[in-house]
Amino acid sequence: MTAMKTIEENLKKEAKQLLESGEVAVVIAYGRGFDENHPMPCAITKAEESEGLVFNEYCTFNLARYLPKYPPKTKIAIAVKAADSRAVVQLIQEEKVRKEDLVLLGIPVTGMKDQKTGEVIDNRTTCNLANPVIHDILLGEEIHGFKGGSPYDVLAKLEAMSEDERWAFWKKEFERCTRCFACRKACPMCYCDPCFMDASRPRWADKSPTPDGHLMYHLTRFYHLAGRCVDCGECSRACPVDIPLYLFHKKVAKECEALFQQSAGMKIEDKPAMVNYGNQDSDEMLK
Amino acid sequence: MLKKIALEKVGDLVSALMGKGPLYAPVRGEKAVDFQEIRNPADVTLDFYNTAMSPKSVFFPQSEDMIRYKLGKEAMETEPVPIDTKPSVILGVRPCDAKSFEIMDRHFLGAGVIDPYWKDKREKTTVIGYAFDPSVPPDPADFYNTLGIGAFDTAGSDIFMIRADKELLLKGITEKGDRLLKDLAILEAGSKADEKVFADLSKKGGEVKTRFMDLKDDAVARKLVDVFGNKEFWEKVTAACISCGACTFVCPTCYCFDIADETLFRDGVRKRFWDACMFTDFTLEASGHNPRPRTFQRYRQKVCHKYSYHVDKYGCISCVGCGRCTRSCPVNIDIFSVVQSAMKQ
Repeated sequence: MTAMKTIEENLKKEAKQLLESGEVAVVIAYGRGFDENHPMPCAITKAEESEGLVFNEYCTFNLARYLPKYPPKTKIAIAVKAADSRAVVQLIQEEKVRKEDLVLLGIPVTGMKDQKTGEVIDNRTTCNLANPVIHDILLGEEIHGFKGGSPYDVLAKLEAMSEDERWAFWKKEFERCTRCFACRKACPMCYCDPCFMDASRPRWADKSPTPDGHLMYHLTRFYHLAGRCVDCGECSRACPVDIPLYLFHKKVAKECEALFQQSAGMKIEDKPAMVNYGNQDSDEMLK
Repeated sequence: MLKKIALEKVGDLVSALMGKGPLYAPVRGEKAVDFQEIRNPADVTLDFYNTAMSPKSVFFPQSEDMIRYKLGKEAMETEPVPIDTKPSVILGVRPCDAKSFEIMDRHFLGAGVIDPYWKDKREKTTVIGYAFDPSVPPDPADFYNTLGIGAFDTAGSDIFMIRADKELLLKGITEKGDRLLKDLAILEAGSKADEKVFADLSKKGGEVKTRFMDLKDDAVARKLVDVFGNKEFWEKVTAACISCGACTFVCPTCYCFDIADETLFRDGVRKRFWDACMFTDFTLEASGHNPRPRTFQRYRQKVCHKYSYHVDKYGCISCVGCGRCTRSCPVNIDIFSVVQSAMKQ
């Protein structure tokens, strides 16, 4: 694997060149936060700002969530790790961005770290791919032979539970929810405007933080992300009270893959599983 | 009044406090430590840096019922929810958080309109503050020194607790605190030597250095008014902001709330619950107009409210530098750095 410092140098170099040549109007990447261990997502528009870009093991953010806010046809370069690139692909499938407006700066990397715990982020909380699924420019060498285990291994415990136990598990987890909405705001696929939770007529869930409202919010969000969640784990990392949202997303993704033989955000040519009908689609869920 | 108890007897102290009424204290969850009402004395931990959520929910719960009502064909039956807090104790509040209660008092009690919900809980709750451990380096996000708060400051506490080698020293700060200390038979009286240990440790608290900048309340309040119109500045510092409410919900001094009537069939409750200026619908008007549609406007409101408008209205900055907003921000926006760069504009 290319050293992170080298990736950072390549990121600066490519960003500078892309902005200088006018090929893109903005580069979405990582900048310095209040110290080295706390980088921040940043968007630069001037070539000289590229010196301020950084890349280290704490650059976990999925930058794809910033893409839909730009006016259509803005030329954008964006740094993408594996899961981030899947989010970009999914956004292209959903026609929120166009491939021809994007320059993907691919980052093959493993061993990113959760800045709250310092733990390595792996297949337990993400899709755990090492290489971006698409890229225009690679900022490091492709990684071969990385075996990190299935992203669905972590579900074993949940799947072994009885229905009642699972219900109890989730009810208990959601009790902690503060309704700060960091999960939906960090999610690259949560771009609905307005989100159903913000609609007032009709109101779909209590505005106050009631347990029923928490269930309404999270379950609806989980299902709205069926076949769309790219398993980047951002929702769970964003959660200030550490609700393991990734578990539910992984379960839904696993079932979607079994039913439709398609993972979210892997190929630009795919159509989102939930909007595409094929004769070969499984009828399993109707039985 | 100074009292003490051996560290291995903390469980007994907790039980004794539980005998006085509801006790709120830090409990270790799967990943973080947070204040909870204690049911089992063994749940309490005093080995923690600071809680993930602030202790404000003891006085200002995230959701609070105000009126219950029944919708009838003609008239509506309504009944105010009685305000009757039992005398309670909150144990293990860090100095920056204890200070936050005093700041919130200015808003809830000192602004002309007295908030009966806050007032009742504040009056009936005894706050046991807990010094930061000087042997543990402060979290890099903390900046309570900037707000004039030290690791051993007693402001806002009724009783202040310091951990010495093998015992906890508890000093009465207010009358309310002294009363509780006197009531706790489990505690031993502190000797002259203990007084000295307490004083020496307190001095050591000054050696705990968090991030610091020299900030005068009036100067920052004026400066932010000057910087208010600098759209480029605010867009730059909030470029990463995802406009969630994590920072305001973990904040010990954010007090904005919403009120809603929630009716199921014919039974309804009017309640108030935390709201956040970072939410898009916070300022959304019935007409559909939103005076703060952009993220930078919402974040600017948050910073200016805390560091400028609050100074004008209540005479102090509404921030205690506990670092929670920075720690919980999914994209590492740091209010200290934002204020620092605003001062340089």
